[in-house]
Amino acid sequence: MKVGSLGRYIAQRLLLAIPMVFILLTLLFLLLHAAPGDPVTATLGGRLPPEELAQRKEALGLNDPIYVQYFRYIGGAVTGDFGNPITDPRSVVQIVLDTAPATIELAVAGMLVAVMLGVTVGAVSGRLRDTPFDIGGRLFGILIYAAPVFWTGLLAQLYFSVNLGVLPSQQRAGGFDAPESITGFYVFDSIITGDMAALGNVLSHLVLPAVTLGLLVGGIFIRLVRVNMLQTLRSDYVEAARARGLKEHVVLFRHAFKTALIPIVTIMGLQFAMLIGNAVLTEKTFTWPGLAQALVNFIGARDYAAVQGIVTFIALVIVGVSLLIDILTGLIDPRVRY
Amino acid sequence: MTSTSRDDRVVADARTPLRVRLQHAWRPFRESSRISRGLIFSGAGLIVAFLLLALVGPLVYPYEGTQYRDEVSPGTFITFPELAPPSAERWLGTTRDQFDILARIIDGATLAFAVVAVAVSIAMVVGVTLGLLSGYRGGRLDRIIVTSMDAVYAFPPLVLAIIVSFVLAAYISPGVPSAAAAVGLVYIPQYFRVVRNHTLSVKQEPFVEAARSFGARNRTVLGRYVFFNVVQTVPVILTLNAADAILVLASLGFLGYGVQPPTPEWGYDISQAVNDVAAGIWWTALWPGLAIVLLVTALTLVGEGLNDVINPLLRARGKAGRKIKAMPTPRREASDVDGERLAARVRDLRVGYRTASGPLWAVDGVSFDLKPGECVALVGESGCGKSSMGRAMLRLMPPGGVVQGQVEIGGTDVVTASESEVRKLRGEGASLMFQEPMTRLNPLQRVSDHFVEMIKTHLPKTSREQARAMARDALVQVGIPPTRIDNYPHEFSGGMRQRVMLAMSIVLTPRVIVADEPTTALDVIVESQILSILERLRVEEQVGILLITHNLGVVAEACDRVAVMYAGKIVEMGPVDEIFTNPKHPYTRGLVASTISLNTTELRSIGGYPPSLVDPPKGCRFAPRCPHVMEHCTESPPELTDVGPDQRAACFLYPGAGQPVPKGVVVPSGDPQVSGI
Ligand SMILES: Nc1ncnc2c1ncn2[C@@H]1O[C@H](COP(=O)(O)OP(=O)(O)O)[C@@H](O)[C@H]1O
Ligand code: SF4
Ligand SMILES: [Mg+2]
Repeated sequence: MKVGSLGRYIAQRLLLAIPMVFILLTLLFLLLHAAPGDPVTATLGGRLPPEELAQRKEALGLNDPIYVQYFRYIGGAVTGDFGNPITDPRSVVQIVLDTAPATIELAVAGMLVAVMLGVTVGAVSGRLRDTPFDIGGRLFGILIYAAPVFWTGLLAQLYFSVNLGVLPSQQRAGGFDAPESITGFYVFDSIITGDMAALGNVLSHLVLPAVTLGLLVGGIFIRLVRVNMLQTLRSDYVEAARARGLKEHVVLFRHAFKTALIPIVTIMGLQFAMLIGNAVLTEKTFTWPGLAQALVNFIGARDYAAVQGIVTFIALVIVGVSLLIDILTGLIDPRVRY
Repeated sequence: MTSTSRDDRVVADARTPLRVRLQHAWRPFRESSRISRGLIFSGAGLIVAFLLLALVGPLVYPYEGTQYRDEVSPGTFITFPELAPPSAERWLGTTRDQFDILARIIDGATLAFAVVAVAVSIAMVVGVTLGLLSGYRGGRLDRIIVTSMDAVYAFPPLVLAIIVSFVLAAYISPGVPSAAAAVGLVYIPQYFRVVRNHTLSVKQEPFVEAARSFGARNRTVLGRYVFFNVVQTVPVILTLNAADAILVLASLGFLGYGVQPPTPEWGYDISQAVNDVAAGIWWTALWPGLAIVLLVTALTLVGEGLNDVINPLLRARGKAGRKIKAMPTPRREASDVDGERLAARVRDLRVGYRTASGPLWAVDGVSFDLKPGECVALVGESGCGKSSMGRAMLRLMPPGGVVQGQVEIGGTDVVTASESEVRKLRGEGASLMFQEPMTRLNPLQRVSDHFVEMIKTHLPKTSREQARAMARDALVQVGIPPTRIDNYPHEFSGGMRQRVMLAMSIVLTPRVIVADEPTTALDVIVESQILSILERLRVEEQVGILLITHNLGVVAEACDRVAVMYAGKIVEMGPVDEIFTNPKHPYTRGLVASTISLNTTELRSIGGYPPSLVDPPKGCRFAPRCPHVMEHCTESPPELTDVGPDQRAACFLYPGAGQPVPKGVVVPSGDPQVSGI
């Protein structure tokens, strides 16, 4: 494949992402500044003497005109400075660095469960359309989507942690077995330090949250993969592949299934937003010390500055992921590049 | 940013006129599968049950959700028990706060409906207004709104809802309005997109452009059409949004950003049950969650069911793997032993489909021989069963299709052979070429992959390099530079793709090639190239070719014999020259008279349309359109009978078709122009 077309395609995507970032950040800024009063008073009002409040406001630049604040905000976001919380001495960047690994670990594990479940059940459902397996698969997809993730999480805790006592239900690691934190990714950390006890500990803590989250997102994948499979199975080139006498499993896998997966990549990008939303809930349910949990805590403390910083980071990640997905689609599907 | 979305697939085409739309409004429901309808009805039933619970429940049930004691007599209270398990007295048990759980479920349902109704209304009003504005005005405003909507859409709905409720909390105390606003904002982009897309597409309609010159009417026209199209799409979005909204509301409640505690709200109630779970208490968490699951499932079922119905792609068109029952079994003729070896021998071939309007035989008892090195043309109007025949030659049936009868190719009876025998035959003993070259190649595979995969399937001992060499040979034969072997399908033009398909059809030198209108989509130059390749194969390799075509010019140029099909049956068959100069069957005469092209519009020279195959005429199927129709033509079907040397026709005008020709009927003369058809 010509490198040029792919390069041009990526450049094009990048260019398209710029207005997106800009508008997203502007909307967030407007939204967060729609609240009356100023963040410092909202957060610390009544707890600090007025002089100190005024001092803090001045220090944070909150007395500047709104457009100055706006440009400072955009400039900061673009250069990777998400500001400083009012209630936490760490910078937002530091908080992100501290907590994001936990969230990423959970999200990746959840995505793995979701993709494995969604792709297999969805593809088989599509192939066996209107059989009991298909109906069961569809029903499962709908039911699991309908179940709030915190509720399934609680029921899982009730059964596996309380009744059976086989899996831990809180935190990322328990007792003395927590791995020495190097990267913040516990699974990775315990593997590189060769600490098998810690690995077992970390994995056992990961099972319930990851499966809970994965089942939910997997339910959506089931539905989407199934529909795609139905479409490719009746596509012209699948019929043509059969007409060439290819074996059924080749027709199914190489021709129908593979193309059915292209939209899945796109959808994975779209589901990413949903994954974050559900990660918030999962982290809360399993007291998972991740970024989402941090966000929830700052909202509880009404710390505007921290909320703005974290949400800005999330927004950038979302644009980044969608860019990545576009590029990935371009790599898989040669047609897209043109 | 990617533009694929959940609602894109439900966006309907806005181009059909209003009246036709209305007429067909009910059709999808009739044609939808029983499963889709089952989904809709069971979901709707559940929703009604919840509505009753929400509206009637508070009136009927003795307790309220925030009540922890009961006044047994004036001034005397009995407090409710704490964490009482479900019992005959308290069906669902009580909470740590001594609330009655059933009462909270009921009040929670009322709240959920209220919030969802307000939230969805907000989203719809704002989304529809912005969509109309953006689509109608276009230009920079449109681009800004679209990007903003994309941005909102890309953002995690829950996080967005949290931020909105966070900001709103500074203005109003948490309650239904703030929760509804937080939940509703999230769904604006979906309505926006649908309405904007419809507005855009309708705006470009010629009638709207025309109406524009009349000024004021423009907006009414636009409004009406957009409204009608949107009304078709919105029910799906609406139900799915309502489902989502309930989840978002519960999530807000769970995180503590929903309505003011201790207002009964399912998500909040679950958050209060977290500590109970650690103590092994199940009922406080179970019931509110179950209520959410049931209501959301119900809404999703309705939404999905409606989507199935509206989206024609998913509509069942015959069910996979099911046999058509209640159809006659075919007669089976003993194989001729004397005859020369044939490329293909077809006897009493029948192809049936199960369709929404009933089972039908698209091919209904067709017999013919295809000799090696012979080209037989199969002609007839669209829908008469030609493609079905072509596919049946390889037993290549879509779901819901069956083949009966006999197709013998190279000593194998395609109809009864095992799956692996048939597969072996496909591509190696008999090839099938399709009409649309653009969509027949796998877009993700290089041309070389297609070849290697096919060759190695049929000749497993071939190495990859040998297979590529064979592929290059075949490409050269069809006039494609072998250097392009590693290109992707989209890098070829339509004509080239069809030649690639042809190269694949011939790479294993089959004894039969079925070519289903292989040149219809192509220009005349490519057409003649393809025909000359087929001609060469026929002469040099003794391949038997069944050429399905609309084009009598192609027939005259490339074929030896012609089979004329009408409504699933062969009505006439004979040498090309005879068919052209001396057609016997009234239908053939009509075809020849309309010359050159055979598509339906040209056939108006005959008048009328082919009959429905679901309920075909009892006698001659051409009778309703035949200018020579006689009384008994409508009573029993005519059989193919000899009408000339090697020429056969199925028409009562000729003796031997089953009935004598009645006195006084003049058999039409040879010249179709003279016979006045
Ligand atoms: N997959 C299918 N399911 C149901 N009916 C079909 C299917 N394919 C074709 N038919 C019906 O069979 C008839 C013959 O179709 P076809 O063989 O495509 O005719 P032709 O190729 O002559 O246009 C038509 O009435 C068509 O509606
Ligand atoms: S059988 Fe009768 S109706 Fe049919 S083609 Fe012949 S004359 Fe016409
Ligand atoms: Mg056809």
